[in-house]
Amino acid sequence: MSQDQRQQWFARVVESGLQNQIFNPSDVLAHATPDVLANHLPPELLSKVLQASLAAGAMTPERVLETVTPELLAAHIPHEVLWACIAAAAARAGLTNVVVP
Amino acid sequence: MNIKAFFVDALTSALDLGVARPEDVLKHVTPDVLAQHLPRPLWARLFTACLGAPRVDATLVVETIGIPNLAEHIPSHIIWACIAEVGARALGKEVDVHVAPTALPAQKSAPTPKPAPAPLTPPPPDVIASTPRPTPPPMAAVGPSIPAPASAALADLISELESEPAAAPVRPRTPTAQRFRQSNTGIGRLGASQRRPQAAASPARSQRRGSTEVSDTESAEVVSQEIAVDDSQLVDWSTTENTQATDDDFSDLGRKR
Repeated sequence: MSQDQRQQWFARVVESGLQNQIFNPSDVLAHATPDVLANHLPPELLSKVLQASLAAGAMTPERVLETVTPELLAAHIPHEVLWACIAAAAARAGLTNVVVP
Repeated sequence: MNIKAFFVDALTSALDLGVARPEDVLKHVTPDVLAQHLPRPLWARLFTACLGAPRVDATLVVETIGIPNLAEHIPSHIIWACIAEVGARALGKEVDVHVAPTALPAQKSAPTPKPAPAPLTPPPPDVIASTPRPTPPPMAAVGPSIPAPASAALADLISELESEPAAAPVRPRTPTAQRFRQSNTGIGRLGASQRRPQAAASPARSQRRGSTEVSDTESAEVVSQEIAVDDSQLVDWSTTENTQATDDDFSDLGRKR
């Protein structure tokens, strides 16, 4: 499996989890913390997030994910972080009692 | 929360992207699991596909059932175990995924099977591998049934005729021209040699026919019609001397020649 395929799959899973309300943007930002975002997002993307928040007057998890889409999350955020979000949501849904580290 | 749609997306994309393989799915969705949870119509479809396929493998099974059907009928914790393993492998980690049976929503009245650990899954026995595949049932008749011949002689004739095409290739066919003595007209030579180029046949006459013209078919019709004849017009051949023939008349036939 190539890195590109893995990245596409994580992007698709995060997107589907949001669409199907397995987790919400707040859950994503609970794992992709501001510290994580700040250390992994490229400067232009950080700027875009800030610009969007300034224009809207607030920075909400929803707005952050409107800018930092699942594809961008999968491209820049460590997959372990994304997987922790997915696994935690699965545990909350009662699918498993194991949270993957 | 639409968990099943999430499962479909996760598994479909994993298979499409090569992150997961169909074997990974069947590692969790074992035949025993399918037997307990898959509806019979889907089993029928699976059997049909397996019987018609030259090779039965995990890809065939997963593609025949379909990920949406798996997500719909297989317990969620089993599907999640598959996804979790794929995710862990994508991260380069080995995760022993435990199932929380008490936390699962009751989906079916059937008892939830205890998923066997993947490494302990026994290989199929050799007996099953060497067992010949059962013959599929015959196709349904699409036409009317042909009754059997009434008599035994007719049946023998039919069987003989049916067996002829099989024996035909054994005896080579000889050209027709060599079976007859060639005459001195040269026709045989023409037939034996290659066919000479021939002019194209002229198209049918499309000219309008005059009123006095009679075609061959019309003249034939005229000849074939009966003409009414009176009895007085008939000639009594038996009493006419000129036409009466006896054996003596032919006696000097050889001398005349």
